Amino acid sequence: MTERIQRLLDHVLDGSHHTLRRDVEWAIPFHTLAPSARAAAGLCAVLAAERPAFLPGERIAFLRTVRNLPQLYTAEEMAERRKSAFYAEKGCVFNITPDYAPTLASGLAARRAEILARLPSADDRARAFLSDALRGIDAVLDLADRYRHAAEQAGLHELAALLAQVPRAGARTFHEALQALRILHYALWCEGEYHNGLGRIDQYLFPYLQADLDAGRLTEEAALELLEEFFISCNRDSDLYLGVQQGDNGQSVMLGGVDREGRDAFNLLSRLCLTASCELKIIDPKINLRVSSATPAEILEAATQLTRQGLGFPQYANDDIVIPALIRLGYAPEDARDYTVAACWEFIIPGCGMDIPNIAAVSLPAAVDRAVRTADAPTFDAFIAAVRDQLAREADRICASLTAVSMLPGPFISILCRGRVEAGRDVSEGNRYNNFGIHGTGLSTAVDALAAIRQMVYEERLISLPQLAALLDTDFAGRPDLLAKARFGVPKMGNADPAADTLAAALLDLFADTWQGRRNARGGIYRCGTGSAMYYIWHAAELRASPDGRLTGQPFSANYAPSLNVRVKGPLSVVRSFTTPDLSRAINGGPLTIELHDSAFRQPDGVAKVARLVKYFIDSGGHQLQLNTINRDRLKAAQADPAAHRHLIVRVWGWSGYFVELDKPYQDQIIQRVEMAV
Amino acid sequence: MSATGTIFEIREFCLHDGPGVRTTVFFKGCPLRCAWCHNPEGLSPQPQLLVNPSACTRCGACLKVCPSHDACAACGACVAACPQGCRRLCGRRVAAATLADELREHEPFFARYGGGITLSGGEPLAQPDFLEELARRLRPIHLTLETSGYAAEADYRRAALCVDLLLQDLKHPDPAAHLRHTGAPLAPILANLRWLKTSGRPFVVRIPLIPGVNDSPATLERFAALLEDAPGLEGVELLPYHRTAGAKYALLGMTYAPPFDPLAPLCPPDTAPFSRRGIACRVM
Repeated sequence: MTERIQRLLDHVLDGSHHTLRRDVEWAIPFHTLAPSARAAAGLCAVLAAERPAFLPGERIAFLRTVRNLPQLYTAEEMAERRKSAFYAEKGCVFNITPDYAPTLASGLAARRAEILARLPSADDRARAFLSDALRGIDAVLDLADRYRHAAEQAGLHELAALLAQVPRAGARTFHEALQALRILHYALWCEGEYHNGLGRIDQYLFPYLQADLDAGRLTEEAALELLEEFFISCNRDSDLYLGVQQGDNGQSVMLGGVDREGRDAFNLLSRLCLTASCELKIIDPKINLRVSSATPAEILEAATQLTRQGLGFPQYANDDIVIPALIRLGYAPEDARDYTVAACWEFIIPGCGMDIPNIAAVSLPAAVDRAVRTADAPTFDAFIAAVRDQLAREADRICASLTAVSMLPGPFISILCRGRVEAGRDVSEGNRYNNFGIHGTGLSTAVDALAAIRQMVYEERLISLPQLAALLDTDFAGRPDLLAKARFGVPKMGNADPAADTLAAALLDLFADTWQGRRNARGGIYRCGTGSAMYYIWHAAELRASPDGRLTGQPFSANYAPSLNVRVKGPLSVVRSFTTPDLSRAINGGPLTIELHDSAFRQPDGVAKVARLVKYFIDSGGHQLQLNTINRDRLKAAQADPAAHRHLIVRVWGWSGYFVELDKPYQDQIIQRVEMAV
Repeated sequence: MSATGTIFEIREFCLHDGPGVRTTVFFKGCPLRCAWCHNPEGLSPQPQLLVNPSACTRCGACLKVCPSHDACAACGACVAACPQGCRRLCGRRVAAATLADELREHEPFFARYGGGITLSGGEPLAQPDFLEELARRLRPIHLTLETSGYAAEADYRRAALCVDLLLQDLKHPDPAAHLRHTGAPLAPILANLRWLKTSGRPFVVRIPLIPGVNDSPATLERFAALLEDAPGLEGVELLPYHRTAGAKYALLGMTYAPPFDPLAPLCPPDTAPFSRRGIACRVM
């Protein structure tokens, strides 16, 4: 890293630019405006209120100086809307990755002209949408002009020249493309969208890099420096991008994989992205890497160098499993090959996907729990049938709550989505893919519970189902023998024990079966997955003890990982267990999560050895993997003395954040999962 | 009939015990009593009960099932009864054939991605017949043996010939200091080392660096001198003392009282005496 980058990094990490921010009082009569016009008015107001500001030494501009966005809808208005339709999360467009490339290439002026040309023949709806989109474009161009002017005034001639080209005209160089991307991405947040993905940055920016290198305008070192600056720019304002927890902001990139035609697409820029993240060690952007059984060891080792930094990056996705599974769900092959992830790990298609991949979650342990309390099951097979019924009921219940699903419009993000300008429709009304994703929380807890029930209720007949239900309500009070048995005397998922792993395969199939064939209210399908998002805390809190010996108040594992109370033999056994189920049936996403003690990398050859674990996972048919390098002692020290550990980064559920900024339940869960790892 | 032995742990995905990814099996029982031992559960050849009271809720389940309140026979009844997982039976009698089947679990991984099985301890050579049969049954998996070298010459040679790589531990080059700090004489170890050096068998020497005991430049110089003229020597690994070494003693009801200051700063590990002699040396 160069000295200039180090200075920019220090500047952003210590947050000294926060003093440039101010709160703005918005006096806009939003209630008089139609939804699309509100979004445009909000975006225009924010961008108009923005004041150009530059960090010392920066070569890629745009910084948030307005802290608060206007509230486009009052709480009463949203409550009223939610009576007639389901609005996911905040109600606006979120968790998608637009297609930045065409606008980077043509510039906003060309997009403006395109819209103007369509206006005369547009129907009323299209005219409203296109007009609102135009206002957004004009507001972005106006702010960019003010930035250019300010740069000139400040003697920042390079930035001024850059902004004289982009975003109005198309980018010609790598530097211009990065600046233009920064502006477009920035504008999305200002329009109110969130979890705005950056997608396959190594693909759509590569032509600019290649052209610069070919023309001798840029060296690899200079390109890395620019890329690092762009990465740092993703951290300038991210404390304003609030998710469930700080750091949960969805600024994901996806590297590598194949292109839309199926050709290997890992390139020099993919490698530079890995290097940049390795050097910077910051939480944004979140690095994902597409791999397959054909990925060379050398790339896996380069990626493992990043794992070694302890950021929880990269998260791996396996093309061998993901692409065919997406095609089976109805995605066109070239789109399936183009997949990226939404905020965390949900597989989506950039540009043309308007999936809501986290619309609801099923608590798998809760389905087992309800079966324990209601089933009249003389055999274990009958009990499994009861679990299936509970899963089907849960699916029915969720579908019934989603008969009308609406989204608030986002005209500016819409023009960055494929086909929306041509169609004259906002992306909130849908795009090529409108599927809903259903998380499956606590799979390993549910599997361990089933294993305990099979053995204790049906094989050894130590207890009946009603008696078990009573025990769960009292946290096994008075029966330490059964608690010991449930915890340590039955097979567990994660130890390569077929007795548990075949149950996992069966349960995941049941989960997939209950969603197969259902159509959603926006013309798409439902896809289930192995992710948990924050539900590993929420769903666990809704449940008392579970038959695996987990007690009231104890969390589930996050995503797809062994239960927290299980002593696993090691990562090889975990990989074997967790690649036993047919993961192509649960392709909404949700990674197997393995924590490695940082001593794994004590010697340089540790990198090659850990890379072989990744290779093993890929070859075994795993879909998604996140490896976390952590040290329990350091986490405990950070909990005790947060001020001294402000920059300690951990992987949470599908994103990485600063440990000390997490709420305590999330911190504790991470410490607990590490304790089992050492 | 398969030979029977006692082990205390099988650890998967070990990255520092030989080439590639290893599964390490720890033999129970050791003739040495190194003052800094960080695997005290490997000392006694007998199965032992390990108790971690930190999660104990005093539910009494262990007492209820205990058949011999006066003297623990390490029967394991309380281990299965404890709902908090506070208890672990350390030490399992197992037939070589059975153990080999268990350890073969990841053979496909080793074959495809590299690695193998490491026999460690405790002192594996304290159970030479068991060791030899286990090694034979594990073939063709790559095998590494970690040993103190404190063993009868015949056993040592037999074992060395049935593995691919030896991790030869050395604790101190001086006979008196060796005896004082490990409770065992150095001579048999040096005799085995002499044979190993002439045998041409591949080996790595591991030296735990203990503050004030064997970390002085002069001592390292003597270690290095011992390792001259060894065509099979692949390198030396220096293992700086860990302050957590004493952590497991309390679990066994033992006290960790090393006759050196465990908090004393270590001399910065000096690899020069080895590299000067053309011996690859790394600090682990």
